[in-house]
Amino acid sequence: MLKQENLRKADVYSGAAIFLFGLWVVLQALKMPMKDSWGGVQNVWYVSPAIFPLFVGCMIMLLGGLLCRTALKTIGIKAFVETARWLSSKALLQFLNSIPNLRFYAIAVLLLSFVYLNIPRIDFFLSAVLFLTVFITSFYLDDAELLKKLFFFYLAGVIVLIIYFSLGVNEPLGRIVPFPADFLALCFIIAYCLYAWRLIRNNAELRKKYRTAMIVAIASPLIVGMIFKYFLLVPMPAEGLVVTVMDYFWYLEFLE
Amino acid sequence: MAILERIGFYFQTVLHLASDPVHIAILFGSVILGIMFGAMPGLTSTLGVALLTAMTYGMDTATAMICLLAIYVGGTYGGSYASILINIPGTAASAATALDGYPLAQKGEGGRAIGLTTTASAIGTIISMLFLVSISPLISFFALQFTSFEFFLLAFFGILISGTLTSPDLVIKGWIAGFLGLFLACVGRDMLQFYPRFTFGVPELDSGVEVVPVLIGAFGIPQIISVLKDRFQIGETQKFQKILPEFGTIVRNIPRIIRSALIGVGIGSVPGIGEDIAAWVSYGAAKNTSKHPERFGKGEITAVLSTEVANNACVGGAMIPLLNLGIPGSPPAAMLLGALMLHGVTPGPMITFEHPNFIIEVAAILLLASMAMWVVGMLLAKQVVKVLRIPTQIFMPIIGVLCIIGSYALGMNIFNLYLMLPVGIISYFLIEMGYPIAPLVIGVILGPMADENLRRALMVSQGSFLPVFTRPVALLLFLVIVWTVLSQFPLFKNLKDKLLAMILPRRFRKSNIMPDE
Repeated sequence: MLKQENLRKADVYSGAAIFLFGLWVVLQALKMPMKDSWGGVQNVWYVSPAIFPLFVGCMIMLLGGLLCRTALKTIGIKAFVETARWLSSKALLQFLNSIPNLRFYAIAVLLLSFVYLNIPRIDFFLSAVLFLTVFITSFYLDDAELLKKLFFFYLAGVIVLIIYFSLGVNEPLGRIVPFPADFLALCFIIAYCLYAWRLIRNNAELRKKYRTAMIVAIASPLIVGMIFKYFLLVPMPAEGLVVTVMDYFWYLEFLE
Repeated sequence: MAILERIGFYFQTVLHLASDPVHIAILFGSVILGIMFGAMPGLTSTLGVALLTAMTYGMDTATAMICLLAIYVGGTYGGSYASILINIPGTAASAATALDGYPLAQKGEGGRAIGLTTTASAIGTIISMLFLVSISPLISFFALQFTSFEFFLLAFFGILISGTLTSPDLVIKGWIAGFLGLFLACVGRDMLQFYPRFTFGVPELDSGVEVVPVLIGAFGIPQIISVLKDRFQIGETQKFQKILPEFGTIVRNIPRIIRSALIGVGIGSVPGIGEDIAAWVSYGAAKNTSKHPERFGKGEITAVLSTEVANNACVGGAMIPLLNLGIPGSPPAAMLLGALMLHGVTPGPMITFEHPNFIIEVAAILLLASMAMWVVGMLLAKQVVKVLRIPTQIFMPIIGVLCIIGSYALGMNIFNLYLMLPVGIISYFLIEMGYPIAPLVIGVILGPMADENLRRALMVSQGSFLPVFTRPVALLLFLVIVWTVLSQFPLFKNLKDKLLAMILPRRFRKSNIMPDE
């Protein structure tokens, strides 16, 4: 949590944003049928689907406004102006480039790419191994410079994947080679591991951490995935290269 | 006769559950997992229950409840390990334990402190279980007299009180979080007219926001981000010797145990507030009534005892409103509500008719879980604390994968993930700005209840709010809500203080229940 003084400054903005959000909820609710007919039924205001969102929206508006007012009263207009000035100065850029924020961007990009890009398109095991490899090595090696390099390498790979999927080449390629996206992801994992190894190979302590990270990154998705897929019978979000190989052994397909 | 029958059925259920080796294996496995979740700073029992919910999808209701309640009980207790051994509370519930637990460990009495917390936690859970069994029929009877107005006001009160008591900063922020949760509950087609609200033409939103992914996102993702962003490191653990149950100390402190258990059950049964507040209030009460308050904070054994009895008594307390009214008493109980709904059990006044033996079963599971926790605590504590050596940078990414696969597995729907992540990231920013997350979650859970009952009530009264003032329970709830809101305003506080000063003699005016820093 932020410090008390910074909290009040943030409250001015969050209160205003919440007020506007409440206003939007109210405006949306007003578009809902209040007294008009819906599905052949004539409405009365007290059974309207708008009644509860209106109440909630009004309360959010009221509380957001109150928060903004309380914060302004505490810090004063002068501090608010100072904050606004800080937000438009170079200090903001320095703040955004700080190491804790870089860590935040790395976590956010990792989670967003895992959920929105990889999970729906790439074999679950491969996308989980990629996620864990990057996540654990970036943070466990515990070096800001390394984190920066590894994060930008991963970001470049994510951009390549985005271009690959948005060009729509996956489907036509799939007719020639099975699981092309999975092979691409596999190449990405190998390239990332080699790059990370190149960066840490001269440091004995980091080499040890790297090995641990690799073992955990490969073993955990296998254990978790196997529990969900074969014991809880939950099909994986995307089943490709690795799942096919695992099915082959699990269901003894090689005996058929 | 009915009471004897209930007692008989209770012991029958305990024996039935305990005689199944699969149940016992799941019970001990979940308790150990719960203790690990509680012990690891950064992980909580709520997150443990959330992640395990996905695993219980294919289990029958009784087995699923064993699994989830065991992890809840284990998680609440496990937090004390990190508090005592590294002075970092494993969970918020055990923050008060660290004040005296760590000094005890520094004196070389870590084993004694862990032994005492283990026995105290087991006693706290068992006492709360007794309250759950004895009070539930009474509450259920009264709840059956409730009409839609009462249920609307009760849901509204739950959100308000949770916002008031859990806010780490301004109370308004707690209320805002609650209303944001209510907004999330509005998304989807409304239950009376099937009108799409805030769905933006996305068919996946038609059925509304799934509760479990929202809970996993709100509790799991901010935890991962904050632990890794702030480079949280677990310190060196204090060494400890043999763990003994400390029965002698327990017997000498029976009145304190009863008082702490009552505090735990009472606070646990208030909607939305959980073990952490119970522990602090109990600590404050123990200090205020102690003959040697100066020893508190320096390794006082009764302080550790009071906090641990209270936070574990909260578990059973939280079950009382959850099972009888459908209102979760604490954040992990909110998660349990989601799990119960998954298994086709709808908690509320009708539970005694739809599932007549369910509350007894829950009580039996609580007893077994507390016994399993005691056995694990006594025999395996030295092995379990080894989890404190695992670096956070390794287990947090794995928790991330579990959050994601867990959200997906419930309903096998990728859209759940698309929902879970934004909720998680927004929750992180809200937490950073001092907004509590528990009211948001309670809002998502109680939203449909509040919405439906408000409109149904108005439908019955033809749009009149008069029944709020003519029905005694509704009026009482309304007055409590007004009091809760007004009591936050300085003008009202001043007025109240002046009135109290006129009415009460000086010795009753001691109101500071929080310990000194």
